[in-house]
Amino acid sequence: MEAVAVLFRIGPFAITSIVVTTWGIMLALGVFCWLVTRNLTLDPGPLQAALEGVVSAMEESIAAVLPDRAQLLLPFIGTLWIYIVFANLVGVIPHLHGPTGNLSVTAGLALLVFLSVHWFGIRSEGLRRYLRHYLSPSPILLPFHLLSEVTRTVALAVRLFGNIMSLEMAALLVLLVAGLLAPVPLLMLHIVESLVQAYIFGMLALIYVAGAMQSQQNLERNEEGNEQ
Amino acid sequence: MDFDWSTFFLEIINFLILVWILKRFLYRPVLDVIAKRRAGIEKTLADARRIETEASELKRQNEYCLAQWEEEKEAAQARLHEGLAAERERLMAEMEAAVAEERERCRVLDERHQRDLKRAVEEQGIAQGAAFSAKLLARVATPELEARLYALLLEDLRSLPAGDKRAMADAAVIPGLQLNVQSAFALDESKRAELTRALAEVAGKTLPVEYSENPELLAGFQVSLGPWILHANLRDELKFFSGALRHAG
Repeated sequence: MEAVAVLFRIGPFAITSIVVTTWGIMLALGVFCWLVTRNLTLDPGPLQAALEGVVSAMEESIAAVLPDRAQLLLPFIGTLWIYIVFANLVGVIPHLHGPTGNLSVTAGLALLVFLSVHWFGIRSEGLRRYLRHYLSPSPILLPFHLLSEVTRTVALAVRLFGNIMSLEMAALLVLLVAGLLAPVPLLMLHIVESLVQAYIFGMLALIYVAGAMQSQQNLERNEEGNEQ
Repeated sequence: MDFDWSTFFLEIINFLILVWILKRFLYRPVLDVIAKRRAGIEKTLADARRIETEASELKRQNEYCLAQWEEEKEAAQARLHEGLAAERERLMAEMEAAVAEERERCRVLDERHQRDLKRAVEEQGIAQGAAFSAKLLARVATPELEARLYALLLEDLRSLPAGDKRAMADAAVIPGLQLNVQSAFALDESKRAELTRALAEVAGKTLPVEYSENPELLAGFQVSLGPWILHANLRDELKFFSGALRHAG
């Protein structure tokens, strides 16, 4: 795996092709959404209906886990799904590398998920009540809770990075060994895998956030069970 | 598997910016339009429910009005039937009264007709009887019967009621009057003298007497003095008999 090329620098930050690709994805998504949503009507056309379908499907998926917080979580979880799908699929385009095939990117996303879990948890339950769930059901389990926080975040980053990187590498190897059209089935698998990995990443993030927001409820439920 | 901290931090910033972009240009507009559509649908549903409620109310009112109209119609029909029955009964009563009146009128006319017919038949019978009796009496009218009637005349004059005698006496005082004696057969002088004396006794004085013959008397005499007339002949007796029969009928 070749090193990511640094295209230029802005102050202390080295601007790599991965970052530029991310900007391209952001620009494309922003322009597309702006063009599509500037003239929304109550009688939607095909494109508006498709867009409403995507947004509604994401909202319903979130509502299935957290019925009362769907609109609160939609920007974060929905953006994870959308960005990761496009970041994964960019790797299919020749001469471009998917940002999610880079550990720095997936680690950044995983860190955001890690932080958002605590952010939404504290926002929902309050700091004291949120921290209490680390001592539940017994303070002895505190190290395991902390270890779980770290490991699941690392797993989140490595899972996405490993899958996408391996797909791109496999396609490259097949292309080098077999010829021009041989990697086509592998690229189709790449598309499916891109969608699946995006869904898994977003769904895991949603479950982590939901667990943090419902931690106090789980705690109270456990205490009631112990009293009985 | 190199790790670049610049890419790591820039990716975090980029993702947060992307969250803001999509929230600004995707989620919010789309959710707003979905909410507007949902609100419109809710409003339409609410309007539909309101209209359905109003329609149900109107339907209930309409059914109530129809029921009322049906009751009024039935009541009006009942009144109409009662009125028709009363009118029919009134007309039937009037017609029966008219028929009874017409029947009574016909009965009266029939009775009158029957009575007239009976009277005509009776009169015809009386006339035929009188004609038959006259013809029969004409055949038996002889001088002997005349003599017998003469004797009866004398007897009647002698036994004349006081009232007739006074009426004759009153007539006898009228100057210029004379007695007329008609007979079916000629009277001889002796009988005329005897009759003249009998009349003078009745009148209270001797009056001139004119004797004449009248075969229409069949047999017998007719004595007259002004308005006073004494019938003692078959013709007048037959007339009296026929008149008595008519009056009896």
